[in-house]
Amino acid sequence: MIVQVTDVRKRFGDNEVLKGVSVEVEKGEVIAVIGASGSGKSTLLRTINGLETIDSGQIVVNGVPVHDPKSAHLVHQHVGMVFQQFNLFPHLTALENATLALRKVKKLSKADATERAMSALTSVGLAEKAGSYPQQLSGGQQQRVAIARALALQPQVMLFDEATSALDPELVGEVTKVMRELAAAGMTMLVVTHEMGFARETADRVLFFDGGVIGEQGSAEQVFTSPSNPRLQQFLRRVLEH
Amino acid sequence: MNGNAWEAIWAGRELLWNGLLATLALSAVTIITSTVVGFLVGFARYSRIPVLDVVLRVYLELFRGTPLLIQLMFVYFGAAYLRLDWVSVFIASAIAITLYQGAYISEVFRAGFASVPPGQREAARTLGLSRFHTNKDVVFPQTTLVVLPPLFGQYLTLIKNTVLASVIGFSDIVRQGQAIIERGANSFVVYLVIAALFFAFNYPLSLLAGALERRIIRKRGVVA
Amino acid sequence: MNFLNYIELFISGAWVTLWTSTVAFALGLVLGVLVALARRSRLLILRTIGSIYVEVLWNTPVLVQIFIFYFGLASIGIRLPAIVAGIIALGVNAGAYLAEIIRAGLGSVPRSQLEAARTLGLAPAQTFFNVVLPQAIRTVFPPIVNRFIDLILASSLLSAIAVNELTGAARRVNAATYETLAVFAFAMLFYLVLTNLVSLAASVFARYAFKPAIAAPVWFRFRLRGSRLVDQTGLSAGAKSPRAQSKGDSR
Repeated sequence: MIVQVTDVRKRFGDNEVLKGVSVEVEKGEVIAVIGASGSGKSTLLRTINGLETIDSGQIVVNGVPVHDPKSAHLVHQHVGMVFQQFNLFPHLTALENATLALRKVKKLSKADATERAMSALTSVGLAEKAGSYPQQLSGGQQQRVAIARALALQPQVMLFDEATSALDPELVGEVTKVMRELAAAGMTMLVVTHEMGFARETADRVLFFDGGVIGEQGSAEQVFTSPSNPRLQQFLRRVLEH
Repeated sequence: MNGNAWEAIWAGRELLWNGLLATLALSAVTIITSTVVGFLVGFARYSRIPVLDVVLRVYLELFRGTPLLIQLMFVYFGAAYLRLDWVSVFIASAIAITLYQGAYISEVFRAGFASVPPGQREAARTLGLSRFHTNKDVVFPQTTLVVLPPLFGQYLTLIKNTVLASVIGFSDIVRQGQAIIERGANSFVVYLVIAALFFAFNYPLSLLAGALERRIIRKRGVVA
Repeated sequence: MNFLNYIELFISGAWVTLWTSTVAFALGLVLGVLVALARRSRLLILRTIGSIYVEVLWNTPVLVQIFIFYFGLASIGIRLPAIVAGIIALGVNAGAYLAEIIRAGLGSVPRSQLEAARTLGLAPAQTFFNVVLPQAIRTVFPPIVNRFIDLILASSLLSAIAVNELTGAARRVNAATYETLAVFAFAMLFYLVLTNLVSLAASVFARYAFKPAIAAPVWFRFRLRGSRLVDQTGLSAGAKSPRAQSKGDSR
């Protein structure tokens, strides 16, 4: 079990967003998290790598107790994150974005860092854009650079927080392709997504989030073809309509 | 030293009071005149009238790109040079400050007008409103609220700027302060008192302007 | 045009204007950074001191501040040469405005950037120097240059304490030749040239120093408009809030 979330609760002000959520993720598993906006999916992801603190419960990632504020910062050595808005550093080239943490956190030499970063960029198909700045790249390219940036640190788990939601439709494909290749290569992934096609084809397990709890979970086959939770049925009807 | 300082100030209080009145008078007059100038220039620039626009850009460049002090000297000493006896220090100061602050205020108005979404004017046109009415009933009312905080800020700056008139001899509060210093008052204390007077006036008003801006942002999402 | 015989006075005056403004501005930058950090500090006492500094200098006239440093200090025993007093006064005043500009610039870097840095494992200090600072510098550059231009214009007030900068030179030439209109018009032209040169130099510098010259919200494209640097969006950190704008001062 590489990620263990036990009975996690989180509230923002008066609003309880996570109402006792428990998940166990095995190494190499690809988990898709679906559900309506505001149901808590992104918040769950963000608690797993400590971007959000939790009110109660436990989160352990690869042995690191994330719920303990003293050791929480260690989780970043094991978990990489890809954001909806890419969050690339605009003043750095693609390559520099990828080498920054390698040099400052992993203390690699410039040569080693460049090598690793270039290999990550190559794996997402953007080796020739290494010297480009983010605003010179399309949305899809920027997101792929963001993925490479996280991959360069060789994490055990990758979190994708609605990675394609901010992309124009024709650019979504190039990003989901990279994600699928990553999954095939055995990366443990938690993917919050609206791309039902991707969830269906690539996920080992699908979690349906509903009002702060996991409404239903099961294999992709199960969840999409024979959902038992009525709210999940409703959700799928609405989502698959267009 | 302290005892003497306060005594001398107290002895000269009438002078200081006159100076304060002079400052207030100059401020009040120029607030009005610079607002009028600023509004007209700002509107003219917003309307993008071809020839006028060039002239006004020169005006802006001139009055925002040179020191107010030089402008004051230019007007006052220049009027004396041209033998325009009716131009008193007050009038010269008022003219210079009006033109100077008017230039900055015009930008406030111009930005204010421009902040009204173009869709508003288009809608007005499709409803058949004349340009005059479009401006009067659609653009201006929406501008007023948005323009108030920066305008307020300009006025506070203007009030501080009036002290420059003392350099060309206007008997404002700073000049009168210098007068009582000549009569023996301690200059540190006198200038501190003058600064405190400005602070006591400007600080609360600046807080008000800030509060106003926050309210407007909350209501409309953006300020000019 | 007799007054042109005195061109040397103008030039030496302009030189004094430039170097005193530069030194004062450097002082202002140091103070500005310190006060900006103080105002962002977690300690209430530092935040309060910073706020008092900024509010007092914003809400009182620069001329009075200059007089306090020169005449005022002299009357309590600290006699500074006029130039020194003037530079300190201008620097302290500029520091108040720069503090707000810098503070706004530091705050303008989106939180998402900080989050991304965190997920990459960067420590807070590393995030500050590698992610926040580079972006903040690009954002604050135009308003800081504009503030320098304002300071150059404000240095004209030093003529009131008998410093021989450009305005003082103009007065002296006027006294010598009485060609009032020509003399002061010439002085105005000189200031225009000075400030526009500074704008131009800053634009050129920005084009080469900032690659790719973006900060999250603002593109740097300077145009010489009214001898101030204005970027295309019309937005500049620290200069947009009316309180900061309103705290403009006699220049």
